[in-house]
Amino acid sequence: MLSAVLEQTINGLMAGSVYVLVALGMVLIYGVMHVLNFAHGVLLMVGAYACHFFFTRATGSYLLSILLSVVVLAVLGIALERAVFRPLQGNLRNQVIASLGLILVFENLVVALWGPNALQMQVPATASLVSVGELRFPVQHVLIIAATLLVVLLLFIFLKTSKFGTAIRATSQDRMAAMVVGIPVERIDWMTFGLGTALAALGGALIGPLFLVFPQMGDAPMVKGLAGILLGGMGSVPGAVLGGFIIGIAESVSTLFLPTDYRDSVAFSVMVLILLAWPRGIFGVQVRGED
Amino acid sequence: MRLALSLLLAVLLAVPFVAEKQPYLLHVLILCCLYAIPAVGLNLMLGYTGLVSLGHMAFAGVGAYTAAVLMVDARLGFWPALAAGVLAAGAAGAAIGAICLRFRTHFFMIVTLAFGLMLYSVMNNWDEVTRGAAGFPGIPRPAPLGSFSFGPLPNFYYLALGAAAAAFAVQWIVVRSGFGRVLVALRQDERLAQAKGVNTMLYKTAIFALGSAIAGLGGVLQVSFLRVAAPASFSLAESINAVLIVIVGGAGSLAGPALGALVFVGLPEYLRVAAEWRLVLFGVMLVLIVLFAPQGLAGLVKKARA
Amino acid sequence: MRRLAAVFLFLLVCSAGAQEKLAVGIITSLSGPMAAPGKFQMNGFRLAEEEINSAGGFSVAGKKYLVDLKVYDTRANPAEGASAMQRLATVDKVPLVLGELHSGVAAAAAPVAQDYGVPLILTIPTGPNLTEQGNRFLFRVNANNDQLTQALADFISKQGWTPLSFIAWNNDAGRGGVNGMKKLLGEPRIGYVGYFNVGEVDFSSHVSNIRAGNARAVMLLMDEEPGSLAIKQLRDAGLKTQLVGTLAMGSDRFLKRLDAQRLAGMVQYNAFPPNANVPGIRAFSERYRKKYGEEAHGFAAQSYDGLKLAAAALEKAGKIDGRALRDALAGIEYQGVIGQIRFDAKGQAHPPVYVTQWCADGKRRILYPENLKADCGAG
Repeated sequence: MLSAVLEQTINGLMAGSVYVLVALGMVLIYGVMHVLNFAHGVLLMVGAYACHFFFTRATGSYLLSILLSVVVLAVLGIALERAVFRPLQGNLRNQVIASLGLILVFENLVVALWGPNALQMQVPATASLVSVGELRFPVQHVLIIAATLLVVLLLFIFLKTSKFGTAIRATSQDRMAAMVVGIPVERIDWMTFGLGTALAALGGALIGPLFLVFPQMGDAPMVKGLAGILLGGMGSVPGAVLGGFIIGIAESVSTLFLPTDYRDSVAFSVMVLILLAWPRGIFGVQVRGED
Repeated sequence: MRLALSLLLAVLLAVPFVAEKQPYLLHVLILCCLYAIPAVGLNLMLGYTGLVSLGHMAFAGVGAYTAAVLMVDARLGFWPALAAGVLAAGAAGAAIGAICLRFRTHFFMIVTLAFGLMLYSVMNNWDEVTRGAAGFPGIPRPAPLGSFSFGPLPNFYYLALGAAAAAFAVQWIVVRSGFGRVLVALRQDERLAQAKGVNTMLYKTAIFALGSAIAGLGGVLQVSFLRVAAPASFSLAESINAVLIVIVGGAGSLAGPALGALVFVGLPEYLRVAAEWRLVLFGVMLVLIVLFAPQGLAGLVKKARA
Repeated sequence: MRRLAAVFLFLLVCSAGAQEKLAVGIITSLSGPMAAPGKFQMNGFRLAEEEINSAGGFSVAGKKYLVDLKVYDTRANPAEGASAMQRLATVDKVPLVLGELHSGVAAAAAPVAQDYGVPLILTIPTGPNLTEQGNRFLFRVNANNDQLTQALADFISKQGWTPLSFIAWNNDAGRGGVNGMKKLLGEPRIGYVGYFNVGEVDFSSHVSNIRAGNARAVMLLMDEEPGSLAIKQLRDAGLKTQLVGTLAMGSDRFLKRLDAQRLAGMVQYNAFPPNANVPGIRAFSERYRKKYGEEAHGFAAQSYDGLKLAAAALEKAGKIDGRALRDALAGIEYQGVIGQIRFDAKGQAHPPVYVTQWCADGKRRILYPENLKADCGAG
């Protein structure tokens, strides 16, 4: 029994890594701009399509394709911030609605351009298997966990030490005060948005080869990532990491004890229960406008 | 205003006579009514009280499945089943609302989304009762009232129109009542209302329950019209659609849900010709409306008149 | 030269343009979660349309008609299904409608078909209760879930592959399959059941639980895309359990997603074996490959048969009229690529259900039904 729980925990860590990658971008954007971007999942999907395009049509190098898709999506993110989210600043409700509209646009645009069928992305270098005791995993799986941890680490360092990172944190904590001390908050806004969508693209590019590239690939990670940032504490980066992993692990371990068709319900019940205990989430921070 | 309203009503009542040869038009108008009814419930919550629920259609599903089971398995008539469905949706709204309403803004949105997904799971997974994912077929149209049968499209249209009118009437009464004024006060400044001694939780739970009950009304009529209940009609995507209907129409305006449903149901039907691109167009339009007409269509109409 | 021939053919078709076009309604998923299988459905319809028209159409009471497909998207949404059906019946005034993938959507479209006396011929939805509603205008070409599972349960029992575990879509197709098997094999012979939502791709927790269980075989109730991922994840994790799949998994396209080594030994039910040594099947498979550049798909074959059968029924009815067509359909016997199609009193056809198996060299053999058994290369 214990070994089964352990194994499911490892599975949960893997699933959770994807949620964390989605959650990180959302939480950064939320912290700075107070925008909850429901289209974050479809941006992950667009990132995966971009990576697939560069990999199969242009470069043939996986690493380069990841890089290119991250850049393209960062630019797309910045454009969206300018065109859609900035004009709606301060109107939480309409920002959410606009992001729901963007889901329709991107998901159907991709179907219209690439067709509804899933694309395969075979990266030979990462298809081989590694063994951990009795268990075997594809290298790509390990790569995702490693990349997620690396991104988390880099993000922490970046937020704590760099000038831009400090500005992000300051703006998150108090936008007015940040403005008063001369932080160019509008520039921070679009840069953070670009960074957030770049992270989504990275997520998409990483899971593409392991799974498939298809129009709905971002939906489940977005909803679960959302649950993750909520229970971790909205606006908190460590909270997003912890939350994403908790959701992933709860889902996996639950399959040992409960009917699997209620797996989603388990994840969301965990979220609601944690929130009832800690109404602001585990690492809850006071975010302006929340109260 | 009153003149315009009675004119509109006259036109709506006359449609079946004019459109006798166009059942498709009636079909689309019925669907507009059936989408507008849950939207009225959501408008009370979202538009007037500021509660953005992302699980609204799941409550319509609670009403729909309650009525479906009662009609098909318990052989209950349509009208008592309708009443039971509305009550069940309202009760579920009160119970779940009491939990969701402990949270605010984005937290509230996501918790309602979570409950919506959980209710959806029950509809999809509880095969013995709901017939599961394949849908619950064979749901009857309402039995005739006297010699008035609801089978033919024009007659069902009057039922849908009547139900929608009732929902809008409830909305009108609530909004004009003292209760409604408290709700608007809650949206504008909850703390202030609290300081004045208003039991905000009680008011919010009441409106969540009422909104859900109205959604339940829409749900029961929908499955009776389609003659099948399927979980897909009450999914997250449908709840998001309900929000879009309210916003596009104009949240917090009395006519908003009607305008929103017209655009949401009517336009895609019209755009059906554009097949694969219609949803892209629809998404772009939504973003544009939010950007350039944040008060929705009702706001545009008001501006045009001013 | 070929271009010249094409131009000539075009002129020929134009000169035959005096023929009237008959609009035939199609409801399917062009967008939404079922868009991918919807494409196979459309491929089948398009191929049949092209064939009927290039052969000069079909004749009803001495008059030649060409088929003109009127296609509406239902996005796996019941209300859209009813709307599309309503529009086809009353605006486009088609004499019949074919298609749909989703059982819930089909259930909303079917009563509308009855209202207007326009026959609806389903070619993919498998929910058994669809044809149990006493709707005389509803027909189903494909085998429903009960029929499919009946054949498979029979086969699995004979092989002794129980307890049987599942990884299944948590939708009408997946749940229907699991419930059907539970009914036929009995709960004690059912192992772990892992459901997942359409769009989910990480099966690792199910794989772990199946490894820990005692199942003799794993049944994968899903489409080819998640199917390829599930097999990859099961095999990568070192599981050597017997695999049982759906009709989406017995194709060369599926092989291309994986490899012969991972698939070897796997069995799957199929609506039609594309390489069977039957002239009709061979010819269809070749034409399909020529048009779409890939091996034919079961959904496409079912839909192809649906439209061809409809044309035959129209000829038999002798007039363009829904009711006459209904009666013609009720009595029709049609030899399609998926086998003999004849509707029972409920409108359900009983095409053969095949079980094919992957050989080590990436070819397939037919294992079931007994009388059609054939070796590697025929499946």
